[in-house]
Formats: sequence, structure tokens, C-alpha cells
Amino acid sequence: MLECRNCGAGAPVDEHFCPQCSRILALGRHGDYFTFLGLPRKLLIDPQDLERRFRDLSRKFHPDYFYNATSGERLASLERSSYLNDAYRALKNPVSRIEHLLAIEGLPSARSDDPSTGSGQTPAKVPPSLLEEVFALNEELDEIRALRESGEDSEPLLARLANARKPIDAKRDEHERQLQELSARWDSQEQAPAAEKRATLTALRERLLERNYINNLLATIEREGSGLQPQISLSPKP
Amino acid sequence: MSKVVGIDLGTTNSLVAYVESGRPVVIRDDNGDALVPSVVSVGEDGTTYVGREAQRRLLTTPSRSVYSVKRFMGRGIEDVEHEVALLPFWVSGDPGGVVRIGFADREFTPPEISAFILRELKHRAEEHFRARGDFDFEVDRAVITVPAYFNDAQRTATRDAGRLAGLEVLRIINEPTAASLAYGLDKRNRGTIAVYDLGGGTFDISILKVEDGVFQVLATNGDTHLGGDDIDRLLVEQVLAEIAGPKEQDATTIEAIRRAVIQAKWDLSDIDETEIRIEPSPAAHAGYLRTITRVDFEDVIRPLVERTLEPCRQALADAALQPSEIDEVVLVGGSTRIPLVRRVVEELFGRKPHSDLNPDEVVALGAAVQADILVSGRREMLLLDVTPLSLGIETMGGVVSKIILRNSTIPATGREMFTTGVDNQTGVDIHVLQGERELAADCRSLAHLHLGGIPPMPAGLPRIEVRFQIDANGILSVGARELRTGIEQTIEVKPSYGLSDEQVERMLLESFEHAEADFEARLLIDARNEAESVIHATEKVLRRPDFAALASEQLNAGERERIDTALAELKAVITSSERAVIQEKTHALNHVTQHLAEVTMNQTVREALAGRNVKDI
Repeated sequence: MLECRNCGAGAPVDEHFCPQCSRILALGRHGDYFTFLGLPRKLLIDPQDLERRFRDLSRKFHPDYFYNATSGERLASLERSSYLNDAYRALKNPVSRIEHLLAIEGLPSARSDDPSTGSGQTPAKVPPSLLEEVFALNEELDEIRALRESGEDSEPLLARLANARKPIDAKRDEHERQLQELSARWDSQEQAPAAEKRATLTALRERLLERNYINNLLATIEREGSGLQPQISLSPKP
Repeated sequence: MSKVVGIDLGTTNSLVAYVESGRPVVIRDDNGDALVPSVVSVGEDGTTYVGREAQRRLLTTPSRSVYSVKRFMGRGIEDVEHEVALLPFWVSGDPGGVVRIGFADREFTPPEISAFILRELKHRAEEHFRARGDFDFEVDRAVITVPAYFNDAQRTATRDAGRLAGLEVLRIINEPTAASLAYGLDKRNRGTIAVYDLGGGTFDISILKVEDGVFQVLATNGDTHLGGDDIDRLLVEQVLAEIAGPKEQDATTIEAIRRAVIQAKWDLSDIDETEIRIEPSPAAHAGYLRTITRVDFEDVIRPLVERTLEPCRQALADAALQPSEIDEVVLVGGSTRIPLVRRVVEELFGRKPHSDLNPDEVVALGAAVQADILVSGRREMLLLDVTPLSLGIETMGGVVSKIILRNSTIPATGREMFTTGVDNQTGVDIHVLQGERELAADCRSLAHLHLGGIPPMPAGLPRIEVRFQIDANGILSVGARELRTGIEQTIEVKPSYGLSDEQVERMLLESFEHAEADFEARLLIDARNEAESVIHATEKVLRRPDFAALASEQLNAGERERIDTALAELKAVITSSERAVIQEKTHALNHVTQHLAEVTMNQTVREALAGRNVKDI
């Protein structure tokens, strides 16, 4: 429940304007991007509809239109516009959309292991479903590195690298498919028992963690590849 | 009601515009000139001059004048050291602090100098409103534009300059976005636009999506140190290497060379060949004359022009678009008049760029539109801009943790959790950075924050939330809270390259002490301005490659001599203080060139029509 700072009337937390005096409401502690944009908590959404909602709400909240308003309304406009922009950014991207859903459904973050924000180090724990691929890849990378140091030609090494990448690429495609499937399942489970919904969310979270891990592996391969090119082509052949 | 205006505060020229019954208009002087050169000069008696007069003083008393101050806004001495060699003014400052600019025996910060320019624009607008009989002609509020790729310190410095000039800065907006607003007025269409803005000192590329009157920036990129100034410097260096004389490196000579190469650069946008001519100066050098073709010129500037391509590609990549997906390309900034620039842009996007609006004026027009939206509450148009650079804080090992990513729509927020490393620690230091690089040392330092007032607790227990807020100006503010106790933290911001509030207040007081040119002096300046524009127009014709042929065919006996005499006489008196004499000689030159003007106009029309059917006309 929000309280209008202008007229004191109460308003539901998802209202943007006071039902009594129609002034813009302070944001309060809003935490759900879906309801803020007037959307159900679903994962497969129409991007054009999302964009239209974003534009419509921008036209309602933007600080440009509150320049002559009271300082309270100006602050509310800034807060709501910022929140709207953050919400649109998060929901536009399918992965960050799932991340937001997990967060508001109370699951632990799948981002904590996200290598893209950290130092670029591979997280220590390998997801069980990837053990086989990771093991094979690491072995291959070690061999390639050893050969590179001994002055091997870069071309065959790059070819081996491309080969080593294939199973990882395949895994990623499979994961994209699974994320799609799970997203569709979640959307159909509105009336389902809580335990079933929870199972879907948990599966989504696991796929996301694996996805992050896979992206990290691909980044490692990229780094190895770009390290190969200049270094080897520049070193004289024995 | 006092007035609101839109201001384009440019590196080379500045303009002011306002909205009149729904249409933006640029304010011109009596000569029809909208551009106020961004040059400031201080006379021996302490009088300040801005614009054309200051530009003339740059040639006579270079050590008392300053130009291109925008390049120094929000910067530190270490950023600009490499480019101060050819400047007539002195640039100094402590490492990691605000740059100081020394000229006319005084030191100023860049916002103070920009404030001189803003005051001149405010004055110009007020004169305009007064002259047309408005009861309340005071101009006290403005939207001021900045390059889209300006960082937080540069934006803040611009806002400070506005305050120092006695203007309430309604909004800081990005130049390419402002331009798109001016373009979007007529065509209420939808589509994806690229705005390529190459000005006097800065380059921006912005990709926008326009739909239902909402102008949404998808991505922006650029280089805040790339523009016409750099082209001029390349040419000046070339002439300097060739000119001979005992003191060719003195400031007066360099300014004379600069003026001559800029004129040649302008010429070469219209004609294929021109000359760089510098009159001999007995004490310094023996003069200089060479012809330069457009091809020579393009060879010299090509590397600079090509430096604009990488930002364009990056912006397209960030917007997830291919060049072919851009519906329209809009050119902004005086340097886009250069034919090579147009060709390069056309090649990249595979389509002819638009330039139906004057590239010098379109930004000010857009700023006026935005100012009008803000005060009138009109809702047919809305600008949704982005922050050009990521914002973050320094973490362990000097690595940057990004809190708001580049190209995020503004206003935007970001959060980061902190804790303490030592038992009973009651304060934390935070280093705020802007940029895309991994290491703090490679990013721009914006501020150091000190969070105090944390209740004593074991290390690691406090949960301090630091909150970033970028407002609609693209300017950052920071707040913090200890979540366990709910205590708001005190935050002390020490801007790395900005002025503190106290400094701005003090400068505001000091600025009232500056005398500005009085009414008589302004009339004299107007007369000189008019004289100068007539001289320029005449000399431009004399430099035409086909002038000799034209003269022998179409000028009367003795006509050329009469023009030369009138020209020389006017040049001899232009810096005198005799207003009546300047006006008389201007009139005389105007008179003797009348026939020449007709002849060249006819010639130009003939050339334009050559090879075209009567039906096309």
C-alpha cells in the first residue's frame, strides 16, 4: 500500500498515480518489474508490446513533464522513470528476464557465479552435467598450450581449437532450447501446484548457472585463440 | 514572463535559439550572423570581449585571448598537455585537478571562460527580445547542449558555467539528440536515424529510434578530442614547417597562419583549389603563399576523418544494427561540410546523408525545442537519452566494478553492496569511475567519496548499500545507507576534475566585477563585424580559381584596381576606433564590388544549370 503524499489517500502498490487526486505517487519499495509494466509474470513476452508499454509509461513519468511540479512530484517522476528504464532493460533481454523472475520468486541469485562481472576466472565448481565436456576441453587446451610453447605452427593449432569448441557450442544451443522450453512451461503453469512451479524455477536457475559456465568456457577458448594468432605468427620457425 | 532559450555552446562557435509560436528560431545579429565565435579576449582596461571582436583581438593581442575552451572543460592538465604547444594562452594546473587557463595576466578555470560566452549569448537574446518590444525580456533559463560523449565531469563543468553566467540550467542535453529533435519536427515519421556530428572539437555518433514522437537513443559513441580544430592544427603545422623567418613561432604568426588555413579549409568545401596566403610580417617572417587543392587537403586530413569510423561501428554494434538498417543519416557540425567527410559517411551507411538544415544551427534549434517542452509541458515529443560511458567503482586490486552500463537509458539507477574490512571501522572510501576499461587506472576518475557514520561493528557485518542515480542531464549523484541499522551515511564528494559548490559561489561573486563592453563600444564592434564580413566575401571571390578568367572577360577597365584599393583602405581602418570611418569604408567597398558580385553570381548560376534540362529547373 502506498500513501499519496499530496492528498493522503491510500493507493495499491502497483498504481503510478493517486486514484484520488491523480498526482504521481512516490515509488516506495517496488520490487517487481512485471507488474510495474502491467505485465503478468510470464517469460515469453511480445517485444513490441513491451516496447509500447515502455514508451507509454515514459510519456507519463518522464522528468521533462514535471519541471514545474512540486519537489515531491519531481522526485517521484525521477524515481519512477529510473525504475521504468531499469525494468525495461531487464525484461527486454530473455536471460535477465529469467534472472528477475527468479529473484522475485525468492530463489538465490544465478548471477553470483556470473564470470562476466568478475575477474574472468572460471568458477571452481563445475556443473555436473558439464563435467565430461569440461574435462575433455581442459585436456585439449593443455596440449595446445604445450605445443604452442614448443613453437608449433599456429594453423593446425587453431583448427584443433575450433574442433574443441564444437561440443561446447552444441551444449550452448541445447541450453538455449531448454531455456525456451522451461520458459514456456512456466508460462503454462499459472494454476499449477506450488511444488511444480518451484521445480520449473529451480530447473531454470540450473540452466542459467550452466549457461554462465558455458559462456565462460567459450571466452577461454576465444582468449586462447587470440593469444595464438599474433604470438605464433611472429615467432621465427626453427 | 522571463524567457527561456536553447544554447549550443560549441568549441568554435556558439548560438542561441528560442521557440516562437511552436517553431524554433536562431537569434542573429544585425548582419544576419547567428554564430558567436567561442573566443574571449580581455582588454588592457579589463573589459571583456566575446565573439567576432575577440576573434580579431586574437590576431592583434593573442596573449590576451582564449579560444576552444570547450576542449578543457572538466579536464585535468595530464589530459591536455600534448596539445597546448601552439596555443597563445597558458594552460596549467595540478595533476589530478582542474585545468587553469592563463591569459591577460589572469588565471581562469574553463567554466569561467565558458560563462563569458554564455553571458554574451544571454545578452544577445535579451537585446533581441528588447528590440522587438517584449515587456519582460530577461533571459534567465536555458537548455545547454554538450557532446553526447562528454563524461560526468565535462557535463558538470558545463552546468557550472551556466550558473556562473546567471542562467538556471533547465537541462543539459546531448548535441546529436538535440539535432534529431530539430529534424524530427517536420517529419513526424518513424524509423532509425544515425546522427553524425563532427564539430570544432568533438565527434559524436548517435543511433536513435523514433516512434510516436518518442526519440529514443539506442547507442552513442564518439571522441571528445576530434574535430575541426585538429584539422586546423595539422595544416598550421605544415605551414609552420615551410614558412621562414626569425620568429615564425610567435603567437601572432601562429594565429595569422591559423586564420589563413581555416579560410582555405572553408574554400575547399566549395571549390577545388585555393591559396593559403599570409602577409609578411617584417619582424617575424617573410610571408607565405601556396596553392592547395582539395586532393592535397584530403590527403592531409584523411587519417583524422577515418578516426570517426570506429566509434560509428561500435555504436551500431551496441544498438545491434547493421549499417543497412539505418533509415536516415543526419549530418551535424561545421566539419560535415567537408566533402571527404560526406563521402566517408555515405560509404559507411550506404546512403546519402541528410543536410537540409544548416549543420551549424540545428543543435541550437533542438535545444530550444527541448527548453520549450520543459517549460510548457507540451507532450507531443519526448527525448529518451542514454549515458555514453559505464559508471562504476574501484574494487580490490584496482579493478572496476561497473554499476551502470553504457547506453543505459537515463534517468537510471544502480546499486552495489559494501562492507568493512576492519573491526569497528566507521568509514569507507569509495572511488567513482567512468569508462569502459577493466582497470581503474585506465578509466576517468570522477570523485572520491567518504562514507562516514557507520556504527562500530565486527568487520564484514555492516551492509552498506551505495546507490548511483543518473538524472535526465546525465549527471551522477551518489547516496548510501547502512542496511542493518538503516542509518543514512554522510557522503562527502570530492570531484576529481570539477569545482566545489563553494568555488562556484565565490566565482559568482567575482564575476560581477568584470566590466563588459558598454553601448558605444558595442556599436563599434558591430561596425567592425560588418566590415569584416564584407572583406571576407570580397576576398573569397578574389581567391576563386576562375577569377582571372572572369576578370579579363567581364570586369571593366580599372575595376579590379578600385576593388583592391577599397579593400586595402577598409583593412587599414578596421581595428581603429573611428566607427564612422569604418562604416564609410565598408560602404565604399560594398559599392565598388557590386558589379563583381553580380558577375560571380551569374557565373555560379550558369555553372549550376550547365548540363541540366530546362524541364529540371
